[in-house]
Amino acid sequence: MLSFNGLYRCDCLPDPAGICKSLPERGLLLLMVLVFLEGSVLPLGAASSPDVTHQANSDNHIVKEAGHNFTKKPFPVLSLDYHHIQAPFEISLWVLLASLMKLGFHLIPRLSGIVPESCLLIVVGLLVGGLIKLAGEQVPPVLDSRLFFLCLLPPIILDAGYFLPIRPFMENLGTILMFAVVGTLWNAFFVGGLLYAVCQIQPGNPSILHQLELLPCLLFGSIISAVDPVAVLAVFEEIHINELLHILVFGESLLNDAVTVVLYHLFEEYAGVGSVTVMDVFLGIISFLVVAVGGVLVGAIYGILAAFTSRFTSHTRVIEPLFVFVYSYMAYLSAEMFHLSGIMSLIACGAVMRPYVEANISHKSHTTIKYFLKMWSSVSETLIFIFLGVATVEGPHNWNWTFVTVTVILCLVARVIGVVGLTYVINKFRIVKLTTKDQFIVAYGGLRGAIAFSLGFLLNKDHFPLRDMFLTAIITVIFFTVFVQGMTIKPLVELLAVKKKQEAKRSINEEIHTQFLDHLLTGIEDICGHYGHHHWKDKLNRFNKKYVKKCLIAGERSKEPQLIAFYHKMEMKQAIELVESGGGVKLPSAMPSAVSMQNIQPKKLPPAKPAERALSNLPKGREEEIRKILRSNLQRTRQRLRSYNRHTLLADPYEDGLGDLLIKKQKMIELERKIKDMNNYLTVPAAPPDSPTMCRARLASDPQAYSMKPEPDSVPTIQVDLASPQSPDSVNLMDEFRRAEQQHEEDQGLMMKPPSGESGPKKPGEEDGSREHKLMRCLSDPGPSADEDEDEPFLP
Amino acid sequence: MGSSNSSVNNIPNAQELMQETGFSAAHILRLHERFEFLDKHKCGQLRLVDRPTNQPQDFGAVQELALNPIGDSIISAFFSPGQETVDFASFVRILAHFRPTDRNQSRDGAQQEPANSSIRKLKFAFQMYDQDRDGKISRAELLQVLRAMLGIQVTEEQLQSIAERAIQEADLDRDDAISFDEFRKSLEKVDIDHKMSIRFLR
Repeated sequence: MLSFNGLYRCDCLPDPAGICKSLPERGLLLLMVLVFLEGSVLPLGAASSPDVTHQANSDNHIVKEAGHNFTKKPFPVLSLDYHHIQAPFEISLWVLLASLMKLGFHLIPRLSGIVPESCLLIVVGLLVGGLIKLAGEQVPPVLDSRLFFLCLLPPIILDAGYFLPIRPFMENLGTILMFAVVGTLWNAFFVGGLLYAVCQIQPGNPSILHQLELLPCLLFGSIISAVDPVAVLAVFEEIHINELLHILVFGESLLNDAVTVVLYHLFEEYAGVGSVTVMDVFLGIISFLVVAVGGVLVGAIYGILAAFTSRFTSHTRVIEPLFVFVYSYMAYLSAEMFHLSGIMSLIACGAVMRPYVEANISHKSHTTIKYFLKMWSSVSETLIFIFLGVATVEGPHNWNWTFVTVTVILCLVARVIGVVGLTYVINKFRIVKLTTKDQFIVAYGGLRGAIAFSLGFLLNKDHFPLRDMFLTAIITVIFFTVFVQGMTIKPLVELLAVKKKQEAKRSINEEIHTQFLDHLLTGIEDICGHYGHHHWKDKLNRFNKKYVKKCLIAGERSKEPQLIAFYHKMEMKQAIELVESGGGVKLPSAMPSAVSMQNIQPKKLPPAKPAERALSNLPKGREEEIRKILRSNLQRTRQRLRSYNRHTLLADPYEDGLGDLLIKKQKMIELERKIKDMNNYLTVPAAPPDSPTMCRARLASDPQAYSMKPEPDSVPTIQVDLASPQSPDSVNLMDEFRRAEQQHEEDQGLMMKPPSGESGPKKPGEEDGSREHKLMRCLSDPGPSADEDEDEPFLP
Repeated sequence: MGSSNSSVNNIPNAQELMQETGFSAAHILRLHERFEFLDKHKCGQLRLVDRPTNQPQDFGAVQELALNPIGDSIISAFFSPGQETVDFASFVRILAHFRPTDRNQSRDGAQQEPANSSIRKLKFAFQMYDQDRDGKISRAELLQVLRAMLGIQVTEEQLQSIAERAIQEADLDRDDAISFDEFRKSLEKVDIDHKMSIRFLR
């Protein structure tokens, strides 16, 4: 078994990666094996238990009916009733298996480096299927089309659609549509037609292939020609290719759903009849437009509804993520109801609702949505691949050498010709042309996956007597593309030196300049009288700002320009990061316990207008000050870092800084202990336990995450947090140093004044000025005056 | 086509322009049409402002420019500093900056950098920030641009802090201003060829 082999192999070979098969990891592998066995044993047990339960039921019946003449049985203390819980139990078991497998692969880093996860999962599925078959049981029809299309596929597509990078998608929309529509059509007809030709010229005695008509061939061609989003996502995720190529292949895989749906239904309808007239073709084209546009419309409507709903959720934050999920799922189901393109509807819903929902929901909800989507899509993807493996073992097979090999070859050839031909045409219209390397990756990345299999599975055996042969061929193509192409694409990308994805941390400069350039280009286009790309984008933005945002975004956020929102987000992230990295008692402790960093509503305008979305515990003005202080702190801190490093001469700045840092840390720890002893509500637990995860999640997976750019000549480890409570001595040291260098710095914020007598208890109802003043003082120097602060409420 | 060629010949210096900027005959023709559309007084030159009223004159015909936050800067970019008129040749030369880059173009060292290369594009954008042409974007100039882009929706304090942060990020030699190299560096992740090109078709 895979896991056992891994166990033994790692024992024998030297351990370069440093993974030690320690006890916990072996335990995990053992657990997986047990789950395997349990999964196969229990269904066996189920076979025998129904008798018991039935008996018990009938006994009870008799007891109830008769009433007086019942035979007394010993009361069953412990009984096994598997049927009762069979369905949910098996589902959970599968999900557990999938997740454990995922865990397992990452414990073996060498393997996951060479082989993409999807391949491994298919192999696992094959093993499980084999196991079940060996156990003599009937393999459950796991890749049942209904289950697949209604439960397994939507999370993956929603995840993709919600986080779709809109800008590159829209910029390349023309190219993507060409590939999706024309490319898929070309593929379908080429494969279907040539396959029919090959089957007809099959030599030999009435070959089974002779009875294959043209229309079923075309149907098969349309099933097999669609690039699969699940497979593409699974493979491309690991190769980190540049954004353009990623969005081209991925966008194509999403948008070709409409084409596939129409072709599939068209050919399926008429395969029975045996002929297709021009009228049907014409209706087919109309149907395609209806399916595509209809799907997008349905999705957009639900997206707007979701955005509108999120406007009112400020009082019930907990169910915010639910709206996103439910509306999206309903969009999918509604589209499927009318046989429109469910995938396009889901993408449209996610993409439309995202900017507005994100402006309305809280930070925690945002994280929740992201995590739930990633979790579901990950589990779905794993399950799909495992089921693919299982279905391969079980699925009705009809192997026909000619058919299968010709299919595989034709698919490859069709894809290559299609891509090259289309690129030739597309490059005439593109500003940035697609090079040969790009074309190769696009062609090579055309992976087929489970959607093709499910569509094939749906075929009616009566209409299509050769369905089994189709299924076998489909599975072979899927295996070929996923295994061969999936495994080799990574080394090929390296070999061809294709541009990789840059870990983009958008800086504020980029944002400003990009917006500037947008305006500039729009202006130039207007001067030239050319209604191009920028012109329409500008018009859409203006429309959005004027009408739509007002409707869908709550409160003041509707008027916030994008640059400001971006700026706030960045500042907030940096503040959180600063807090996280410093560790221990930090800025949050200087605030009332009700306010943790995470609770602060990010991205709010700081004008004097009172906040409309105040936290429940925090008076309205307070938030303002806190944010102002945060911002000024960040500025100061950054400046301090720079100034500190700028003027350090030959002496090792690292050493000096480290010394200071150690002193400060020492004092902080002492202070923390002191405060803990005092046992008042000032003692805020050091950053809440889930914050590192959240922080990491926010910063690591968010493509727009900004993390502090390392100063060119600074030392990364010096995280001077001057806002934390410290004794004034060490701080004054810093302060003098700083003051010597920067004479013209404003006298604001963190002026480290020694605690003066004025900091006595102040009455709550003071005006903002003195409150702010006191707050600042509290932030700057609660060292020795911690004793004072003990008595008064920190903030009234 | 024969007719368009003869029209191109009517335009003065068409051939030199085509060679210098790399525009095709069709492009030049199109741009000439547009120039004549903007040139209301048919004097062969576009004027910046109407002397008596001080309103943007010829470029005012383009209504969308009024809505553009940096419309005025764009218009003044067409005019060399100090001049108030621009002729067709200069008009085309400015617009040549926005032609899509020819990737495979090989040029010998003697030839001047083509107008539509990445560097020239960036230089053009840089000059729009740097109004006083001292080679650096000072804080005041940056603030001016930000103010124009963000308008009345933000407070002065916010503008200051954004400008502050932008300069901190980009300014590597700590002279409190952004030089052209720093500007280029901060935009290294952006695909300038794609971002600053428009199609001159039709």
